[in-house]
Amino acid sequence: MGLYSLRRCDPSVKLATVLFLLVVGYAYIFAFLMVKQWAGLSPSNVAATYVPKPTVEESMLSAQSESKTQPLDLSSMKAEKHTVNTQLLIQDSHIHILMFAIVAALETLIILGLEWRPAWRNTVITAAFAAGALDFSGQWLMKAGLGGFSYLTIGAGWLMTAVYVVVLLGTLKAVLARGADAGRIA
Amino acid sequence: MTHLRLSGGAALAVPALLFAPLHTAHITPTVVLVKQADAIRSTLPNAAHFFLRTVSIGRADYGRIKQMASYTPHDDQVKFYYGTDSDGALTGTVLFPQVNTQHGPFEIGLTLRPDGSVAQVVVTKATVETKPWVEAAIKTGFLDEFQGMHAGDDVTKALEGLDKDHLGAMPTFYADVTAKAVQRGLVLYQVLFAPHLPGQGS
Repeated sequence: MGLYSLRRCDPSVKLATVLFLLVVGYAYIFAFLMVKQWAGLSPSNVAATYVPKPTVEESMLSAQSESKTQPLDLSSMKAEKHTVNTQLLIQDSHIHILMFAIVAALETLIILGLEWRPAWRNTVITAAFAAGALDFSGQWLMKAGLGGFSYLTIGAGWLMTAVYVVVLLGTLKAVLARGADAGRIA
Repeated sequence: MTHLRLSGGAALAVPALLFAPLHTAHITPTVVLVKQADAIRSTLPNAAHFFLRTVSIGRADYGRIKQMASYTPHDDQVKFYYGTDSDGALTGTVLFPQVNTQHGPFEIGLTLRPDGSVAQVVVTKATVETKPWVEAAIKTGFLDEFQGMHAGDDVTKALEGLDKDHLGAMPTFYADVTAKAVQRGLVLYQVLFAPHLPGQGS
């Protein structure tokens, strides 16, 4: 089975493709806001969300409890940092990795119709699938105590966004193209 | 015309670029039902001054907590928020015991009178998924049933009035989790805070 050409497709196919990408972009805006609110955008904040606190080792505790008391200004009391424990990460992983795969597959269907050179096409397809997997790989590696992998998770986010933008621009170029072999909408 | 359309397309992509770091992490968010500061302020209305005491648990107390509450603290530090009146007398203490459930973290604000009895229990943190179950349980008023209990009391007595068949499985589960959090909080108070009450020397 050969590839198709989005450029030559029926206008309804073009319309559905563009609307799909725009709605995905709409959802991405809220994904960004959610990440900003709950995890933060800097590597240190992302790491603090996932890297577990050291477990309490009884043998490492001092013999007697010690306390420290300080005056408290309730108006300046900070909210506790949101953290993701292993159970939550399992829950997030099973939902999000599946959804990332579905979105990557739908983006791939679009990419197949963009008449790109094979090497570029395969690179973008690979990136589309890899981004979600790398995102959660980073989260699990942080959960294993390796805070430096916050860079992997953030990088995977950038990669996913780059794939989206490239596919969106390629789609708009194909849909809006004018020429003898373009579809009826052009 | 084509050029203009392409420019329009590029303009559509700009917002996407602005929101570039989209997928850095996808989290099942916790929901703050009551802010900790608000819980402290509202449940210690007679306090003129507030203090934070952070206790680093020692081996001896760690063993006592394990024995009394049948659980091991996840953190080696416990925070107690207490208030004093204008004479420096203790008006009450608030702590925020947390239970990690399969649906995510669950936290209560447990306010204790100077004699160590429960003055008030509020649920401070749940998750998006558990919030409706927690709110259904709260509506029954069972949180008030913890009032007056001390460390060592059977906290599950607060659940005896629940109509579990009518309430449903998950709200009942979170009522149980609340009782577990109250029990843990009472033990933490008894072991770590009560032996050195403010104003009595430490």
